[in-house]
Amino acid sequence: MKVLIADDDTISRRLLEKTLTREGYDVTAVDNGRSALRQLSLPDAPRLALIDWMMPELDGPGVCMGVRKQHDRPYTHIVLVTSRRSKQDIVAGLESGADDYLTKPWDPAELTARLRVGQRILQLEDRLVEARETMRFKATHDHLTSLFNRGVIVDLLARELSRTRRESGCTVVMLGDLDHFKNVNDAYGHIVGDEVLREVARRILGSIRSYDFVGRYGGEEFLIVLNNCDSTQAIVRAEEVRNRIANDPVKTIRGPLSVTMSLGVLASQDWDLRLVEEILGEADSALYQAKAYGRNCVKLAAPTTSADRISS
Amino acid sequence: MTQHGNRTSQTAVNLTKLLVRVENDHDLLCEIIGIFKEEFPRVLQSLQQSVAREDMKNVEATSHALKGMLSELSVTRAAWIASRLEQLARAREMSRLVYTLKLLEAEVEGLLPELDAYSEEAKS
Repeated sequence: MKVLIADDDTISRRLLEKTLTREGYDVTAVDNGRSALRQLSLPDAPRLALIDWMMPELDGPGVCMGVRKQHDRPYTHIVLVTSRRSKQDIVAGLESGADDYLTKPWDPAELTARLRVGQRILQLEDRLVEARETMRFKATHDHLTSLFNRGVIVDLLARELSRTRRESGCTVVMLGDLDHFKNVNDAYGHIVGDEVLREVARRILGSIRSYDFVGRYGGEEFLIVLNNCDSTQAIVRAEEVRNRIANDPVKTIRGPLSVTMSLGVLASQDWDLRLVEEILGEADSALYQAKAYGRNCVKLAAPTTSADRISS
Repeated sequence: MTQHGNRTSQTAVNLTKLLVRVENDHDLLCEIIGIFKEEFPRVLQSLQQSVAREDMKNVEATSHALKGMLSELSVTRAAWIASRLEQLARAREMSRLVYTLKLLEAEVEGLLPELDAYSEEAKS
């Protein structure tokens, strides 16, 4: 594990370096506070640090405060090493953001024991972060396809619509539905149906850009949100998705299965100031038209006038 | 280096403690003695000049540095005197500073030859 030593006393620094190297740590040693803060701000910085209190340029508590201001980084366990022993000093050191305190001259056994404590705390923190991320993923993604779930993809659509309105851009909404998917489940079973859904999700992801969004909207319905894309490009992009699904049969445990998708497409520039629900309703109507047209095709939603909407 | 336990009462360095600090690594002992010999005279001189100039801020900083160096080498009494100098400088007690500096100078008078002897013994 990487550890940073910051101490302006050459002897102290060398003793720390030797003891920690002997213990198997990957040691970086610096002789002032500013260098310490710079090292701890680097990507892949050491997450264990032994910082002397009194140092030129920036003292130990200053380093601690600087590190604690960096909220978007993995936690750094900081041990202040100092000859200051008063209660006020210990309190001030810990209040500045240090996690532990070691008085000079330190004992090698105590030093390594305290660093092991630091490692245990960091490991615990890593496990908590991992668990939180797993929970976050489960709460935001569909468990079968690992695409965004319905709630998230609709929120993302709302966010994109307001952004493109603010920036006078255009967002394309595609609502795709697998054709006759019920027949797949009925004829081959749900395990095969799930295989098909996973593969379709993979193909959709493969046909959009990294900054577009796709989510599972319903059973066999997928919602795709394309940024900075107008109605002319929308049809091309929707055809790409449709072709990628229709062109190659999906390999399943019951053999290859041909599946197709119908898509209703809408470009937000034609539907200014509509609510998300209205936009989705229009995309759904276009999808319905695609189904009525014979399936395995793309239909672009035509904007209705205000008068149309009032009369309807 | 087997007789060191008997020498601590007459010497400036507590060799037993020092060997614990270096985890009985004689090469490391020689290395840190070398660093000390290089840095100590310079820091001591800076302290003496700061006391002469009555530059309390620098007296505090250099006596703190000396205290750290001496502690690391288990030069216990001298480290304590350096710590006292640091406190006096912080309290701006100039009158007692000069006297305490003399105590420190007396305490470290034979230090470098003593360290040389340990270093030679460690190499052998």
